[in-house]
Amino acid sequence: MAETADYSFAVEYHGPPLPYDIPKAIPIEIERIPVAAVAPPSASDAAEALPVVHPLTSPLRKAAPTPAVEHAAAAAAAAAASPTSVIENHAVMDGPDAEAGSSGLLGSSSCLDRSAELTEGGVESSGPVGSSLPDRISTESALSLEFDFRSSASENDDDDDDDDEGVAPHAKKALVTFQSSAQSSGSASPAVGLARQRREEFELRGKKGACYHCLKGSRFAEKEACLVCDAKYCSGCVLRAMGSMPEGRKCVSCIGFPVLESKRERLGKCSRMLRRLLSSPEIELAMKAEKNCEANQLRPEDIFVNGKKLTPEELVLLQNCSCPPPKLKPGYYWYDKVSGFWGKEGHKPHKIITAHLNVGGSLDSRASNGNTGIFINGREITKAELQMLKWAGVQCAGNPHFWLNADGTYQEEGQKNIKGQIWGKPIMKLLCPVLSLPTPTKAANSNGDEVIDMVRAIPDYLEQRTVQKMLLVGLHGSGTSTIIKQAKFLYRGVPFSNDERQDIKVIIQSNIYSYLAILLEGREMFEEESLAERRNSCQHCPSGNYESDDCNRVTDYSFSPRLRELSDWLLKVMASGNLDTSFPTYACEYAPLVEELWNDAAIQATYRRRSELLMLPITASYFLERVVDISRMEYEPSDKDILYADRITSSNGIACTDFSFGPLACDGHAIDGDQQDMLLRYQLIRIHTKGLGQNCKWLDMFEDIKIVLFCIALSDYDEYYEDPNGVLINKMIESKRLFENLVTHPTFEEMNFLLILNKFDLLEQKIDTSPLTICEWFSDFNPVVSRNQPSNTRNPNSGATMAQQAFHHIAVKFKRLFSSITGRRLYVTWTNGLAQDTVDAALRYGREILIWEEEKPIFGSSESIYSTEPSSYSN
Amino acid sequence: MSVAELKKRHVAAMETVDALRERVKQKRQLLLDTDVKSYAKSQGTTPISFGSTDLVCCRTLLGHTGKVYSLDWTPERNRIVSVALDGRLIVWNALTSQKTHAIKLNCPWMRACAFAPNGQSVACGGLDSACSIFNLTSQVDKDGNIPIARVLTGHKGYVFSCQYVPDQETRLITGSGDHTCVLWDVTTGQRISVFGGELPSGHTADVLSVSINSSNSNMFVSGSCDATARLWDTRKASRAVQTFHGHGGDVNSVKFFPDGQRFGTGSDDGTCRLFDMRTGHQLQVYTRQHDANDNDVPIVTSIAFSISGRLFFAGYSNGDCYVWDTLVAEVVLNLGTLQNSHEGRISCLGLAADGSALCTGSWDKNLKIWAFGGHRKVI
Repeated sequence: MAETADYSFAVEYHGPPLPYDIPKAIPIEIERIPVAAVAPPSASDAAEALPVVHPLTSPLRKAAPTPAVEHAAAAAAAAAASPTSVIENHAVMDGPDAEAGSSGLLGSSSCLDRSAELTEGGVESSGPVGSSLPDRISTESALSLEFDFRSSASENDDDDDDDDEGVAPHAKKALVTFQSSAQSSGSASPAVGLARQRREEFELRGKKGACYHCLKGSRFAEKEACLVCDAKYCSGCVLRAMGSMPEGRKCVSCIGFPVLESKRERLGKCSRMLRRLLSSPEIELAMKAEKNCEANQLRPEDIFVNGKKLTPEELVLLQNCSCPPPKLKPGYYWYDKVSGFWGKEGHKPHKIITAHLNVGGSLDSRASNGNTGIFINGREITKAELQMLKWAGVQCAGNPHFWLNADGTYQEEGQKNIKGQIWGKPIMKLLCPVLSLPTPTKAANSNGDEVIDMVRAIPDYLEQRTVQKMLLVGLHGSGTSTIIKQAKFLYRGVPFSNDERQDIKVIIQSNIYSYLAILLEGREMFEEESLAERRNSCQHCPSGNYESDDCNRVTDYSFSPRLRELSDWLLKVMASGNLDTSFPTYACEYAPLVEELWNDAAIQATYRRRSELLMLPITASYFLERVVDISRMEYEPSDKDILYADRITSSNGIACTDFSFGPLACDGHAIDGDQQDMLLRYQLIRIHTKGLGQNCKWLDMFEDIKIVLFCIALSDYDEYYEDPNGVLINKMIESKRLFENLVTHPTFEEMNFLLILNKFDLLEQKIDTSPLTICEWFSDFNPVVSRNQPSNTRNPNSGATMAQQAFHHIAVKFKRLFSSITGRRLYVTWTNGLAQDTVDAALRYGREILIWEEEKPIFGSSESIYSTEPSSYSN
Repeated sequence: MSVAELKKRHVAAMETVDALRERVKQKRQLLLDTDVKSYAKSQGTTPISFGSTDLVCCRTLLGHTGKVYSLDWTPERNRIVSVALDGRLIVWNALTSQKTHAIKLNCPWMRACAFAPNGQSVACGGLDSACSIFNLTSQVDKDGNIPIARVLTGHKGYVFSCQYVPDQETRLITGSGDHTCVLWDVTTGQRISVFGGELPSGHTADVLSVSINSSNSNMFVSGSCDATARLWDTRKASRAVQTFHGHGGDVNSVKFFPDGQRFGTGSDDGTCRLFDMRTGHQLQVYTRQHDANDNDVPIVTSIAFSISGRLFFAGYSNGDCYVWDTLVAEVVLNLGTLQNSHEGRISCLGLAADGSALCTGSWDKNLKIWAFGGHRKVI
């Protein structure tokens, strides 16, 4: 309390209320500045008294460019010649020692000047309201902070440089300044400070108007200026100073900083000089980068609409509407949402933009500083507007309050009937410019489809930032491809394009052939089996003769020769493994035969024994029952067919789909974060575990994902697969191994995992016939078996079915495993891949986790909010 | 014969093979009287001396917004193609350090890229299991993108590397996660031959890298996750010509020695090795003594030989980039400690065709071009 008493003088403020919130920012900066700003001036005072503090180092830095003047012509020629020539150039510049005598003088003077700069910075920062810059008042103090950092950093730099003078002095300095200013920049914009400092630094080095890099040339020579610091470079130096221009024309050290507002107009407009130096595709790309890169965009926090800072999303909305405000610059604006009037705060309207944009705060009655007593949409209008209203024939007696709509119709406040149309008279369009008032453009009136337009127009850089990536991993057969297909059906307007459907059709058709091939193989097997049986029985009965032997050859599984031809072909193609390539050519030829084949008694007999054919996937019967339809040329796959079909997403190693959760998500938080949600997109990436290899060679490419959705089929617990060495491995154990692999992978150290236990329906089917304890990992599964009839199982302990208990047991096993490895919490949910709502719920749960994780740091140790014991589930 | 019996026999056969392999290894050890290093030492060869300014970073190519994964030079040495995790393929002018093409890719997870010998087209491959070809001379569409000229599909695993056959514009070799290498005809998009896979002499794990012999373009070598490198003849796809064992980890990078008679490898075990094709022997191991904690050995991600072969450059996962003297097996320079060096893992590196410059790509999103100092001739 005593401390607050000390500072209480700061609270006493009796001035008129300010329209903006500077008073909050300034005191914070004051506390910080004196520490940084006062100390260096005192140090530099000492330096001023004793110029010998840096007698060796400063001259070197200043001297290096001096020989460059002499060799500037050579340097200019060399810059564009070859990578090696630059070095040659440095070799030439190697000897600044010769200049040491004269540069001593230079150095000391630079020391003096630097201290002058510093004190200047100190003075500025000690005045709490630096009023030299109208737009960013609070940045000033931060600037001087940054200033001090920089000069001290470059001093250090000098010390380091002693031994190797052959390396480009400018570039090196640039590197250091870039880092140090990045450290100190914080939220304030250092651009202006950079510009001024660069100019001052330069002015002590060379004559006015010369190139900043080679210090040569007059002010009339053609030069290109940096968009951030306004340093000017001649044609010989510009490429070296600006490097590969990832953000357009900026010095290497200025990359990442916002451009000067005065130069915003020039973004993307290339000078003649650059055109001469670079080829047209190079120019095109550099200018494109200049226009589109994030650092060069208007910063939303610099723009106030109706007294409220814009968010990035609002700025996008504002810039991409059909009739945006022209030449938007940082500053304070007012915006009449109903009529679309737009103007600078305290001024009359400047433009009529698209109405009903949800940007900024609410309109203040004094926004345009009018004094007429007449209000339009709650804003007191200016005299010019009053004049316009009079010309438009609006009755303005008695200081009425009007509602003006975007289409120009107006009505008096509190009344229903429309009184007239402001823009009704054609003469208005001519008169308004006389008063320098805006008239509506055609585009401004259409406002229906804005939102859709906007979503499409999201700039690249924002898109990259707003995409939340989810990685979907699972063993083959765990249903990851079904989930990705479901996501497409759920969240995309057009899940599959016509081309994709065409491809899918081919895949389904070739699938059906492969299913048939499996059946045919099975048929051969069964035929041999039954023949062998017969033979055995024949041996037992000695009366067998040749005739009966002949008729014995015909079994339930025998074929007509015609079909045998097809069968042989199909089996041969399958064996050679190129069904996909040869399929389209043969498909039409054999399509009619398929019907015959399917209806053949032998195939039907085989199909009845399909449970013995391990190769046949479960979904095969769905397609085989309709084989005749599907094999036709005019077959069009239905959504359900696509969902059931194999190999649609796995044909490529990686599949991904972009989507945003629909408006269905309006639960609680989504209401205020509505606009954010619109921009927030999710990308579901599904990778194939077959290619993962033992050591997950390329998992490092997925560093930017936010959550791993690990998918396991619940039905795996009693299924086995054969590894290359012929050992049978339980699929669930294999999933566990992969899970451990992923969790311990260094890339996923801090990653959130959501375990999706898929195929719950299959678990329900088989849990009663095949106990969970079949898998040794679950041998301690001890279900609470209710002895009562199923109708009575609603007692509090065992309200769950066997399948649910099994699910819980598996989930707990994985949760324990996860927390024993990472000490964090594993999220678990269940799905049934073929049921859309469960997949939807699982993906939304994934999104919830992302939101929680974002909020976690805000709430501190909020772990306790979400219960962490292993028995909590999302269902 | 019952299954159990077959299995028993199989196990016995495998044991025999292992025993034979061990004997071959021992025999080799006996026959190997010297390695490059000791021979060079006995001949009085001294390591090449490098000052800190003899090799300097003269260009930084900024523009990728994701980790750089692969790069390649054009034969006429002035352009570089690179792919990064930002989903862009960028063609750079190495002289002006400007971009000449920036192509947005459908699949952002790219691992390999290559320039065609004529410099007219580029190829890139990645996790989409395909190799996409772009013709740089073709018309750009309204978004400024170049349409894909051809997609080479057929791999069943991710494409980790691709390289054009040096004297044939239409031939390309890829190495893939499906354990095979494939020789493609780019114009038709068809596979000409597949190396490995079902074959008994093929790789048993993902192929990470391929390098084609520049003096005899029928021969190429592949490095794989099975810790071996294999030599192939494109005319005989049926079997590998030779298999080179020795590494204790995945072979991340293989590169032919300029004379085409031997090749170098870089591996997860942190070593580089030099193998000789004619004898099948390993000639030299290039490794540096690391601190006691062995499990933190930085892996070799990529290697490249200088034009004469006297030096080779190796990029490491910790951001180091060593310049090795091939003969005396000593590190003569570490680019990672120089001014302006990379801040992340060196993921790829390549030498310009005339040997005058080295380009390195890194996970710090930048590419850097290093060049020899002016008074030093190219070696």
